Amino acid sequence: MAHIPDGIVSTPVLLAGAVVAAGGIGLGLRRLTPERLPKVAVLSALFFVASLVHFPVGLTSVHLMLGGLAGLLLGWAAFPAIAVGLILQAVLFGFGGLLVLGVNIANIALPAVLLGLAGRGLLARPALAHPAFAGVVAGGGAVAGTALMVALSLALSGREFQVGAQALAITYVPLMVVEAVFTAALLGLLVKVKPEALR
Amino acid sequence: MRKILCALCLLLVCASPALAHKLKLFVTGEGGQVVGSLYFAGGGKAGQLDGLVLDSTGQVVARLRTGDDGSFRFTPPDGGLYRIRFETADGHMAETSIGTSAPSLPATSAAIPAAVATPDLDAALARQLRPLREQIDALESRARLSDIIGGIGFIFGLFGCYAWITAWRKSRT
Repeated sequence: MAHIPDGIVSTPVLLAGAVVAAGGIGLGLRRLTPERLPKVAVLSALFFVASLVHFPVGLTSVHLMLGGLAGLLLGWAAFPAIAVGLILQAVLFGFGGLLVLGVNIANIALPAVLLGLAGRGLLARPALAHPAFAGVVAGGGAVAGTALMVALSLALSGREFQVGAQALAITYVPLMVVEAVFTAALLGLLVKVKPEALR
Repeated sequence: MRKILCALCLLLVCASPALAHKLKLFVTGEGGQVVGSLYFAGGGKAGQLDGLVLDSTGQVVARLRTGDDGSFRFTPPDGGLYRIRFETADGHMAETSIGTSAPSLPATSAAIPAAVATPDLDAALARQLRPLREQIDALESRARLSDIIGGIGFIFGLFGCYAWITAWRKSRT
């Protein structure tokens, strides 16, 4: 799951995650111009509550992440937005540990930003792809990227990569579909009624 | 921006009976045995999962496996402090400590005069109280509406402060 609790990952992974998270937040804060602040705040709040919307999958349930949407709308500024959301989720809801925050931020925000930027690239070339496709790339892709990074974090902490990846796939593949559809729908709406929100 | 705000409100409405997606472990003593259940907070039972019982030095004392309903029980070898730890392949983990020596066992006999408290009565009481304690445990892990609203308020306040500081710096230069 995206919210790894304390006591699962090894110290090198913890440190690597903290470095990636700090770097990403630094980059994001530089791009945090006063005009963009409200958008970043709203998406941070959206990310924070999205984790409470659950879909039953088999015995357990998955929740929305909306990292891809944040990456798409904010670019690197999604890093601080997701970081704030994750910190509050950990403190208020107990989702994920406090020590592993760096790893969790990196696992969710890095794929979100990279695939969000890819989605923006697609959006900038309307001849190449429909806007909804950019949403599918960012929304679905970010979830897949997060699953991969969580599996890697577990594998680097001395667990079987394949076992972890298989267990993650059970819950993440349905989530990927949900998120791709949701992001595509919201993006389609934004392109039609508020294209300036994507700038 | 308004659309996003609407979506935010909609999510908030969907979220009200909030479920937390987290592995939870409930353990209690019942007679000489340790019984417990493993579940996903607000959701289903975590059945057929392997767990470990560790002693205070970190040595594995026993291995556990939950039944289909997520429950397990074991008899601790002797008194002392044990750690019970369950882990899933996708990175969920739940861990708790339990003392099995008489005083530190989650005692239910505190209010009963020593003369009345027989081991049988203790065990019966523990059994009766268990569902209640499990319920309290599950309630604790629920995301409360006040937490959700508080979190959103915190986020807007934080970014508001950031905007304030940037505006203040700008006006000084």
